[in-house]
Amino acid sequence: MTELVHTPLFGLLLTLASYRMAVWIYGKAHSLPVLHPFIVASIPVIVVLPLVGLSYEEYREQTGILSFLLGPATVALAWPLYRQLRTVRQVWRPVLITTLVGAALAAGISIGLAWWLGAPEPVVGSLAPKSITTPIAVEVVKSTDGFVSLAAGAVAITGIVGALLAGPVFRLLRVRDDRVRGFALGLVAHAIGTARAFEFGEKAGAFAGLALGLTGLVTALALPWLWPWIAGWLF
Amino acid sequence: MLDGLLILLLFQFLGEVVIHLTGLPLPAPVVGMVLLLLALMFNLPGGERIAEAAGALIRHISLLIFPLGVGIVLQWSRYQDYALALTVAVVLGTVIALVLVTLLLKWLMPAPPERPHD
Repeated sequence: MTELVHTPLFGLLLTLASYRMAVWIYGKAHSLPVLHPFIVASIPVIVVLPLVGLSYEEYREQTGILSFLLGPATVALAWPLYRQLRTVRQVWRPVLITTLVGAALAAGISIGLAWWLGAPEPVVGSLAPKSITTPIAVEVVKSTDGFVSLAAGAVAITGIVGALLAGPVFRLLRVRDDRVRGFALGLVAHAIGTARAFEFGEKAGAFAGLALGLTGLVTALALPWLWPWIAGWLF
Repeated sequence: MLDGLLILLLFQFLGEVVIHLTGLPLPAPVVGMVLLLLALMFNLPGGERIAEAAGALIRHISLLIFPLGVGIVLQWSRYQDYALALTVAVVLGTVIALVLVTLLLKWLMPAPPERPHD
């Protein structure tokens, strides 16, 4: 019986079943950010793997096909980006400036805080792409010599924190413009923030999707060049 | 669906080719994404055929990333020494970035034309 655990089918089934259940719960909970499928689906996986004696490394191999699809999923981001580029032509200037400054801020603040609290180079490098969409982040982290699993986890938690705090932050700063709400959410909190932005309306969602694409693009194009210089200066 | 997947994989491969030829320190799928975006902007014939495949992949990005992300817990022994730095950088860093980006946008974004009583 035990050898059945060591086939790719086991890891894939466990992942898909856990994720399906988590999506169902998320729907029932009206998309409450703390119950994001990412968090809920991790519980059965974390419990079952040690129970059946499966190492994380082997689980990663079994589910390799899912990780492989992150490549085409990244290329696919060109489609929503293309669609939204046309809808926001009038405000391209604030959009462009905010993308450049905001992407630098989002990465710079987390790099600075982690470095200041004594994290070593690979840990800081794993956090640098935390505001960009996961498929791009796990690619970028290879060029900053970070840990893929840490980067993926940090990206997910960033999205959840951003989605949770968006309401209070926008109220406190008296933001009522859906373009601002959407773009800020997409820039800082990528796909999870974009899902939250759609709750403010269609326009907020479109701006969030645009911010997600542009921030991912700018960070992916800039960070691999800048990282050796940043790391050399900090460490 | 099939056409879409074919186009996406083709552009990812083109990204790999560009990286291989130039040695640029960039992720190949991101280069593929830029090439596809340019192709769409120059009216790639049949471009709308990627909509279905692209939509399906993007909708389930959380699933695709899941086996990698769950490692933050399953490999926690590797990271626990930096728990404080990680928590502060991720949680506080996100809050600060959200506030600053929102303020910047509020300042830069021209007022929407048709909303007198905001």
